[in-house]
Order: sequence, then structure tokens, then C-alpha cells
Amino acid sequence: MLETLKEIICNYVDVDADSITEDSRFIEDLGMNSYDFMCLIGELEGSMDIQVDEQEVVKLSTVGDAIKYIETLKK
Amino acid sequence: MKEFIINGAPTKCYPLTAAQRLHYYTIKYCPFHQVLCIGTGLYFKHDLNFDVLKECIYEAYRRMDSMRLRFIHDPEEDAVYQYVVPFEEREIPLIDFSNDSEEHAHNTLRKWTAEPFERYNSPMNKIMMIKLPNGYNGTYLKVDHMTMDSSSIIAFSRDIIELYCARMYDFPMPKDMQSYLKAVEKDLEYENNSVARQKDTEFWKAEIECENEPMYTDFTGMGRLLTQRRESGNPDLRSAVITSTTLDASISVYHLEDDASAKLMKFCTENRVPMANLLLMGLRTVLSKFNNDEKDVSIKSCIARRGTLLEKRSGGTRIHFFPLRTIVEPECTFLEALQIIQQEQNKLFRHANYDPIELTMKRSMYRKFAPGASYESINFTYQPLTMKDSSPDTPDIEYKSFWYSNGVAASPLYLTVMHRPEDNGLNFNFEYKKDVVNEHEMEYLYYYLCRVLFRGIEDPNRTVGEILEMI
Repeated sequence: MLETLKEIICNYVDVDADSITEDSRFIEDLGMNSYDFMCLIGELEGSMDIQVDEQEVVKLSTVGDAIKYIETLKK
Repeated sequence: MKEFIINGAPTKCYPLTAAQRLHYYTIKYCPFHQVLCIGTGLYFKHDLNFDVLKECIYEAYRRMDSMRLRFIHDPEEDAVYQYVVPFEEREIPLIDFSNDSEEHAHNTLRKWTAEPFERYNSPMNKIMMIKLPNGYNGTYLKVDHMTMDSSSIIAFSRDIIELYCARMYDFPMPKDMQSYLKAVEKDLEYENNSVARQKDTEFWKAEIECENEPMYTDFTGMGRLLTQRRESGNPDLRSAVITSTTLDASISVYHLEDDASAKLMKFCTENRVPMANLLLMGLRTVLSKFNNDEKDVSIKSCIARRGTLLEKRSGGTRIHFFPLRTIVEPECTFLEALQIIQQEQNKLFRHANYDPIELTMKRSMYRKFAPGASYESINFTYQPLTMKDSSPDTPDIEYKSFWYSNGVAASPLYLTVMHRPEDNGLNFNFEYKKDVVNEHEMEYLYYYLCRVLFRGIEDPNRTVGEILEMI
């Protein structure tokens, strides 16, 4: 999951994929803005065939949070 | 996609994207085609090597294919297509204003900005090297909005600066641009009945058909709506016709001091609030104040639609405008109201690829609008990028940038807020129709906007009702 997410994140921000960890924060560390983040969520929905809750996704701060959230949706 | 024979060669041509159609419809119904011209100037207090600068401009043209975009009219379908020419051959002139007054130079550049482009099979931008008085030298760039928006203008201008610095001072070469046509293909793929588009259609249908109709709030107060209620014999009318007989426009620019701007930015950082949302909060509260403390306020919010690196680096024109509607109770605190704005903005972000013209038409039909009616009186854009931000390697040279008016406007008021390159302070550019409002009223609007912003950030737990009373 982390590898897939890294690959998708690298479509949005100019960072080295190896530097992305579960602790990386979308805004502070990866330099995303809220538009980037919402687009990323949209792409994850399409590629992972999930439907997110808009109120919940805004609470996701780190890559690890996103992984945990996606896993709950896939169960 | 369609193939046309252009200059004797078969050439792949693409239909216009939704963002381009937005501008195309403007000129279709507006007699003044300069409405799409954007003029910008970027000047350095520095003796530029104009030969090297010219080579860098040609290099920047090579690197950004959207700068080589042309349009072609297909008489069979009466439709417009677009294509990219392989290279740019035009001469890039050097215009010397160094012996003139600065006012004369800028007035001349403003006049040039008001000259529309030939629409078909012709370049859609023009760049000149400029010598201004007082030792400032640089470039004047005029583009057509159907090919470029402010993000791509900034990206192209930065590229020229970075190429120049690489050539002259051995700075690192800028990163490569990305393919505009690839971005167009992605946009057209979305439009071709994709699943994403189907989801967006459902979302916007629900928004349009919501039970409680939005309320028009004008930046000059209740007068327009009350007059139209009286004239239409409908005392419950909630939309207003915002078109007018003339398109003559002017720009008033107000400079928020750097320390005051820094206070706003500090608030945004500490509270994780995007600057655009803070400004929208200020604007919607002012509209509320001017319209009898109305709780239901809508503003046309500009979405740059540059999320992926492809979108960020491929130039072109991508902006879409959507209504940002917020209903804020007076008991709500400033911070809570900001959260409401964030939620509504996020919804727009998630559905921002939808065709804004289609949305406008569907809404007009559903609500049985009079021609030219709307719920929004203001178009709003916040531009976070500056020439300075993106070029950290640029030598520390004093410089200034200008955005020149083309003299006409399609909407009553278009507020663009951007950072000044010299001190990162905020400039508020109010482009307004002269028959609707005057400069004094713009100043009044700006004054109230600042009052709301600073009353809000000094105590974000203050309620909106308290702020409305205080200002």
C-alpha cells in the first residue's frame, strides 16, 4: 500500500519517492495544498475502487493515516 | 481529435477544453475581443544582456508547447480546434522607453494590451524586451486567456529568468516543462463521459436542485436586487441580472502593507487555514454586511486546477469558476465559519473538472433565471505564486511586476489577490465595470474587507455576529 501511495503522491509533488514514509505529513512535509490533497483523494478513489467520506478525509494528516483509512474502507 | 492540413502538412488538432470554452463563449457574445488579453511586465533593476535574454525566450518557447498554441476554425462543424506548432520563429523586438517617462511606458503597454489577437492560425501571445526609465529592464508579455492563465504566465516568466540565470551566472537549469497536449488529452478523456464526470454531474445536479434557493448579494448593497424585485413584480426574487450595457473596466489596486500581510499569513499558518479561505471569509462577511446581514452568501471562486505535476508544468489555461455558497449563522465563530468555507471549497475541489458553462446553463434553466441573472456578484481569485517564490536561485536583484488592464471586463467585479514580489505583501486588484461601481466604492469595499479580516484574526473565537456589529 505504501509503495502504491508513494507512486501516486509523486504525480502531485516533486519529491523523491524514497523520502516518503508513513510519518510524512501531506501539507507540512510533502508541500501539498488542499487542492492537491483533494485531487489525490479523488485519484485514490478511482484507482483503489473506494468511496471516501469527505468529512473523514480532511482529518488525514499523514501518509500512514491515509493507509489506515483506506484499509478500513477495503475491509 | 481531428486532422487538418496546416502549412501543407497533416496536423493533429484537438477540440477546446471546458476551460477554453469558458473564454470562447465570452468572445462569442462580447464585441470587444481584447477582453481575453492579459498583459504583464516583469522588470529588473539590472543591465540585462538582451542578446542572451532573447535566446532564453526562444528556449522557453521550445520548452513550453502551450506557448506555441494556435487555433483553427472548422467551417464544416463551425467549431474551433487547437494545435501546437513545432517551433516559434517570430522576431522578439527590443523596445526602448529609457528616455520616456515611466507613465508613458506603462500607458503604451496598457494600450498594446487592449489590442486583440488574430484568432485563427496565428500566435496567441507576444513578447517584447523592454527598457524602462530608471534602469529597469525586462519583458512585456501579452497572452490570450484561451491559451494561458496567470499560473502559466508565471511559469513561463520564471522559466525565462531561470534560463537567463543558468546562462549568465551558472545557476542550475530549471526543471523541464511538461506536455500541454498530454494535459489536454487528459481533460478531454474526462469530458468523454468518464466515471469521474458522471460523479461530478450527479454532485452538481444535487447542488443546483437543492431545496433552499441561494440568495444574490451585491457588493454595492441591496439596491440592485430590490430594484429587480420591484420591476419583476416578484418580491421573493433571489437572483439578479448582473449584465450591463457597457464593458468598460478599470482596475484599482490596493497594497496591504507587508507587516499587515504577514499577520494574515501567520494566522493562516498557525491555524492551518489556506489564505484563499481567509480572504473568502473576509469577502463573504463584507457581502453579508452590505446586504442586511444576509447569512446566505455566494461568491464565484476560481479554481486553478493544477494538482498534478503535469497540470502544474504544462502551461495552458485551466481555471474554472464555481459558485462557493456558504450559510453562516451569526452565532458561528470566525474559526467555525472558516471551517465551513473549507468544507465547501473541498467540495468544489473534488468536482472542479466539471464544465462550468454547463453548470451555469443547467442552473439557469432549473431556476428559470432571467437572461444574465446570477447569485454571485463577485469573482474571486487568490494567486499564491509569484515570480520571486519560484526562483530561489535568482540573484538578489530589485525587480517589479505589472499586470496591465485590457480596458474591458465581462463580470461586474473580479477581485484578484496576489503577493508582491518585492516584500511578499498582498495586492488586492479590483477589476470592475465602470458603469456599475466607481473607484471610491472599491476603496470602501477594500476598507471593510480589511476590517473584517483583522477583527477576525485578532480573536478568531469572536462570533460573526459580533464582527458584523464591530465593523
